[in-house]
Amino acid sequence: MSTQPDIAPRWPTFFFKRVGVTRLAIYTSVAVSALSILAICLTLILNGLPILGQGGIHLLTSDWNPASGHYGILPMLYGTVTVALIAMLIAAPLGILSAIAISEYLPRAFRIPVKAALELLAGIPSIIYGLIGIALLAPFLSDVFDLQSGRTIFAGGILLAVMILPTIVTLSEDALHNIPHVYRETGAGLGYYRYEIIKDILWPIAKSDIIGAMLLALGRALGETMAVMLVIGSIDRIPSPLTNILSPGQTITSKLGREISETAFGSPHFQALIFMALILLVIAVVLTASAQFMTKTETRLVD
Amino acid sequence: MIITTRAILGSIFCFAFSATGLTACTASDVNKVAISGSSTVMPIIATAAEDYRAHHTDTRLIVNAGGSGVGISQLGRGQIDIGMMSRDIRPKEYEQFKGLDFTVHAIGRDAVIPVISSEVYDAGVTHLERKQIAAIYRGEISNWKDLGGPDKEILVIDKEASRGTRQVFMEYILGDKDGLAKGADLVLGSNNEEQTALTQSDSAIGMLSLAWLDDDVRGLSLKLEGGQIAHPTLDHVIDGTFPIVRDLIVVTTQNSSSEALDFISFLKSDAGQTIVSKTGYIPLSSSSSSSSSSSSSYY
Repeated sequence: MSTQPDIAPRWPTFFFKRVGVTRLAIYTSVAVSALSILAICLTLILNGLPILGQGGIHLLTSDWNPASGHYGILPMLYGTVTVALIAMLIAAPLGILSAIAISEYLPRAFRIPVKAALELLAGIPSIIYGLIGIALLAPFLSDVFDLQSGRTIFAGGILLAVMILPTIVTLSEDALHNIPHVYRETGAGLGYYRYEIIKDILWPIAKSDIIGAMLLALGRALGETMAVMLVIGSIDRIPSPLTNILSPGQTITSKLGREISETAFGSPHFQALIFMALILLVIAVVLTASAQFMTKTETRLVD
Repeated sequence: MIITTRAILGSIFCFAFSATGLTACTASDVNKVAISGSSTVMPIIATAAEDYRAHHTDTRLIVNAGGSGVGISQLGRGQIDIGMMSRDIRPKEYEQFKGLDFTVHAIGRDAVIPVISSEVYDAGVTHLERKQIAAIYRGEISNWKDLGGPDKEILVIDKEASRGTRQVFMEYILGDKDGLAKGADLVLGSNNEEQTALTQSDSAIGMLSLAWLDDDVRGLSLKLEGGQIAHPTLDHVIDGTFPIVRDLIVVTTQNSSSEALDFISFLKSDAGQTIVSKTGYIPLSSSSSSSSSSSSSYY
């Protein structure tokens, strides 16, 4: 390295090193993000935890009625978990298979256009997904399953699946694409079929990254508000039997979206809503941390 | 290209806004009147503000929506001069701002109508009693055939508890503005959302403001206790036969400026009342029952 002739112009070095712009920019942006996270956590903890002091047992019921002081959060917890689960069950296989197809089977020239088209899905505002859900998905579901209304937990799950698909496809495809070509060539040299190369060579290497992608997508699914709020029916009820996902429900985010603006700051109603947000934050932190853990533990491959 | 133009326009607007704000502060030759609150009342106020500005160039009216609750709390904190509301001020809110003397001005009226899918209406369910609607919302009646309609499950559409429309509706139907609707299948928000769900279903019941009825969502007539039938028509709302009505109000405090009060007298004038009926609501003058500002006396 040191023997290379220095042909770079000198002024940027001077500017960035002496003035310290780089360092300043990095420190500022790190400080801004760290402080906002801290502010969010503190706000949620300070405003949400007090509800535990005033009848915390009530929280674990399914009766939500602020007018009479009942704040049962079970229906929202159930809805959040179920919707995310449905979304993952639909999006995970689709996403992984798409990633394999794009990375291993499509001609190289198609890779970027197909990926770009899929990533376009991620750029569509969630309210648009919600409107499409109301206009097309809900009536379709009510026709197919002969329901009174298609606004169901299942509808929320399907919408979310479409919304998190780009995250899964892009990250999984990157994981596969980043595996050096020599692994495939070696496999081919040993007489492996292409599906065997994918199954026995590429998958074990890319697995942890792909699981990381799943967890990130799951985090997004849990936090999505507008689209789910419009199609889920917004009723605070756990369906019976529990597996009846073709009935309306409520998620934590849809509950917050509908009620937070109308509650008085500091009231028990407000605290109960913030407490649910806190639960969501804890789940998101755990998911993100595990995603980091999954993607970092494997030793990196070298070409 | 569009984005750039927008950004430029936006910055110009911001700049102009802050500039006028500054002049208003320093040399008080322009009187600012800030108005905020119910999005039901806002169409009236926004249209009236335009007309008012034409004749009062020295007054700046700034109108924002946000909901009745936002209107009263901003007024209480002194951030605005006039609060718009589509429901009464609650005792809690009076208590929260004890030092303030709220004055309520009724500027128009609106009716809340029980509505059903056109399929059920056409099959013969054209009017119901209050008790029957209450039974539907409590979950005691769940099939239209019990009410003389087709053999279809009822899709009961409720509204968010904080909505003014729901509070007025439930006050009449269940006798409690926070009444629980155990039979509800969906909980929706705005008139818009509610109307869409009713249109998509062939067996739904819900509640809407008078202005939102159309061919797909039909207003139910109410069979009153005396056997008389109140139709959800402008005539029956105006002559007081139809029972679920509410005042649309604006609220001021003792701190509100004389310009704010002058704008309110414009709203109550003939010109102002014409705007009320043009925006789809019912002017004060045409209602026979006196719409005083006292709470819930108009039921």
